[in-house]
Amino acid sequence: MITLDNVSKIYQPNIKALDRVSLSIKPGEFVSLVGQSGTGKTTLVRCLIGEERPTIGKIKIGDWDITSIGKNEIPYLRRQVAVIFQDFKLLPKKTLFENVAFALEVAGRPTSKIKSIVPQVMKIVGLGSKLYRYPHEVSGGEQQRAAIARALVYQPKILLADEPTGNLDSINAKEIVDLLRKINEFGTTVVLVTHNRDIVNQLKRRVITLHDGRVISDQAVGKYIL
Amino acid sequence: MFISFYRAAKFSFQDIIRNVWLSVVTIIILMLALFSVNLLLVAQVIGRAAVDTVRDKIDVSLYLKSDSAESDILALRAQISGLDNVREVSYISKQQALDDFQTKYKNNPDIIDALRELDSNPLSPSLIILPQDVNRYDSLIANLNKISNPIIESRNFDDHKLMLEKINAITERVSQAGFIMSLLFIFITLLVLYNTVRVAIYTHRAEIGIMRLVGGSNWFIRSPFMISSIIYTLIGLILTTVAFYIFLSLLQPYLETFFMNYDFNIINYFKQNFIQFFVLEFIGTAIINMLASLVAVRKYSNV
Repeated sequence: MITLDNVSKIYQPNIKALDRVSLSIKPGEFVSLVGQSGTGKTTLVRCLIGEERPTIGKIKIGDWDITSIGKNEIPYLRRQVAVIFQDFKLLPKKTLFENVAFALEVAGRPTSKIKSIVPQVMKIVGLGSKLYRYPHEVSGGEQQRAAIARALVYQPKILLADEPTGNLDSINAKEIVDLLRKINEFGTTVVLVTHNRDIVNQLKRRVITLHDGRVISDQAVGKYIL
Repeated sequence: MFISFYRAAKFSFQDIIRNVWLSVVTIIILMLALFSVNLLLVAQVIGRAAVDTVRDKIDVSLYLKSDSAESDILALRAQISGLDNVREVSYISKQQALDDFQTKYKNNPDIIDALRELDSNPLSPSLIILPQDVNRYDSLIANLNKISNPIIESRNFDDHKLMLEKINAITERVSQAGFIMSLLFIFITLLVLYNTVRVAIYTHRAEIGIMRLVGGSNWFIRSPFMISSIIYTLIGLILTTVAFYIFLSLLQPYLETFFMNYDFNIINYFKQNFIQFFVLEFIGTAIINMLASLVAVRKYSNV
């Protein structure tokens, strides 16, 4: 369960990125967080992964209050709350396999485990035949799949997808959303941050709409209303 | 833990190889710093050896009247032996003084001929006094001056102390100059290493960002840079040791000439103290380098 209790984030001198946001997301939910650019969606994601601290309010993941989290705890948070971005953030000099393995390497997982886990996850995201390709050798959609695979190797409870389709054409975007849906079916909570109207409307899942840092709508089966 | 260390070491080696020229420059600067520190140490060792050589040669001569009775001389010798800070008192008889003189000037026929012209032995018997502690030379002279004995003809209290002070002063100045030079190189090394880590972090900024993103701990992100600094230290120290050994081998013949008749071998000294040299320099340099790296890493690794 993700709980935000009256969360505000104010940047100096007085820019309110988030303004008294309160919401909760149940385990296993698929939530779309929508809103125009600059409405605080990414700030919310950054707060959820401990990259930013709210100026006021509390964020809890389960019983874990991540607003007062220590620096040493952030790596453990990031293994529970995985995130993917619009620009994939893959290392260009590593193969897709190495990129995914890198996440497990930094966590100190044994090489034998890495060798067994990575191909499995790559297969789930549909990259079983492209393990040893470099990012520049595959399409944008496949790069995003690799990024998703990297996010999944820890079997996180929550997956935050910050504009994952922003750099993709409609076909690839649809495939990525389908993949996110599949991941959600396995039990992972998915928070999809987007301003893609078509995707949100096709999903027919919960939609939280942000405007000027505030929640202006929260519908159980929602549509893109802006 | 071992796996994490192995991976951190792997990333560290990758970093050194990817930024090979930066690594080479860092190691060269490190070598210069270590070489200057070693030079300082050698200058101190040579200076100390030079002072010891001079100290061994410092003595005080009391010239006695030619007609002094042997018993009076021996009594005086016993009296002086009992003084504070006297290591040894040697008695040089008239005949021995003449023999020594002839030996000393055997290649100078003019002096030998002049000596033959004389009817009798013109040299006086003497007592040669070696001090226990050269630094208390003044008190020994004062004590000798207090002795009033009619058989004493003259007292040769050459100012050896002045010479000693001069050597000490030179050694000290060399040490000071070396110390300043070493500090300068250490400071430059700190800056260069700090910058090397900064550049390495810049080169790896994408990797660091992704490491953070996927849950890499601070320790894991920072440790490759710390390991790199230890590797730089080790390579720099090994190369400096080799270069310094060659330098000492070239220096030794000159030192042999300078310390003629005195057992002093700088290479042996270096070999005998090699472990202390190497270990202490490694620990000292590694600590300094790791501190520089730590500051740079803490400041710049928050990508």
